[in-house]
Amino acid sequence: MNTIDPRIHQVLDGELAVDALPAELRDATEAIRAAADLLAAPVPVRSLESRVMAEIHRPAPSLARRVSAWLATPHAITFRVRPVWSLAFAAAAAVLTLFYARDVGPQLGEHEGIAQFVGRFPDARSVHVVGTFNDWRPGTIALQDLDNDGVWTATVVLPAGTYEYMFVVDGERWVPDHLADRLVADDFGRENSVVIVRPVHR
Amino acid sequence: MDVIGAPSDAEIVARVLGGDAEAFGFVIRRYEAGLLRFATRMLGSRDAAADAVAEGLVRAYRHLASCREPDRLRTWLYRIVTNRCKSHLARRSVGDVPLDEAPPVADPADGEAELERAEQLALVQRALTGLSPDKREAFVLKHVEGLSYEEMAAITGERIPTLKMRVHRAREALLKVLEDHT
Repeated sequence: MNTIDPRIHQVLDGELAVDALPAELRDATEAIRAAADLLAAPVPVRSLESRVMAEIHRPAPSLARRVSAWLATPHAITFRVRPVWSLAFAAAAAVLTLFYARDVGPQLGEHEGIAQFVGRFPDARSVHVVGTFNDWRPGTIALQDLDNDGVWTATVVLPAGTYEYMFVVDGERWVPDHLADRLVADDFGRENSVVIVRPVHR
Repeated sequence: MDVIGAPSDAEIVARVLGGDAEAFGFVIRRYEAGLLRFATRMLGSRDAAADAVAEGLVRAYRHLASCREPDRLRTWLYRIVTNRCKSHLARRSVGDVPLDEAPPVADPADGEAELERAEQLALVQRALTGLSPDKREAFVLKHVEGLSYEEMAAITGERIPTLKMRVHRAREALLKVLEDHT
């Protein structure tokens, strides 16, 4: 480790006046201060307010849905069993797994993933998502607002990849998804949202 | 942070807990810039930082009732976002998420001073990313966010001598990188 004079630390910690430093130590002190000043400059990023407030307003999942999600999520479970029982347990687990797997969600291909679209449109009568995954054709993928809280959602299986998309509200108003991973300018002076779909099976 | 005419942190917390969810917007607007800067320096990626801060703010809203000292809301928020950053870093270590996004690039139309500043920032950010997460966190909290060691201890749960040692080691490592490039 490249140790530096402890007086430099004392100055930077506010325990010693910089005037008390010998001249040959001041360059190092200033170098660290200059580096910190560079890092302290504001970072130009889009405000998170709409994203966070939309998430806050989204209703919490029901207990049943949370239990279902827990059951569908892989968990590490360790059993300590006598060897004689292990075959019986393995057979029972295999049967249960096969039985359960038939009833859960869509079967995904090796290079497919799930994209979830969520938008808050309190007064909308219909919301669709259009994008490079459906050649920007309105009317093919509808979002739903089952509990009429203004939050519209759709879950779509797509080939893994990066897609641009927008929402179409009431069949006529095209709006970007400000909760998207990122936004990019299109050729029409508007902004498209971008979603990255990662393969579920790696 | 208190601004004349603006509600205090404690007032905002009371309003949100009283059912005025929209008042949480004050919290976001008041602290997101600092939190995003902190997370960007920690993660080396603005996208990852935005995710970490957004997750942290949502978590803060949902657990606001557990904020025992609303007057010290800022410290509490930094603690939450710090933990989100650590989670992101832990996931990266076993996942396939790229570690760094491209460093900031100055517009060629910018003046020479701006170009030099952008290069210096890229160098410093790379050096920062090369530090261990603990040292990076300590340096950023101390020198970028300007917190006292007492505030840092409240955020990280570490003892002040431990934090001082981490800041000192971070300074030494950064200074070495800077000297090697001059």
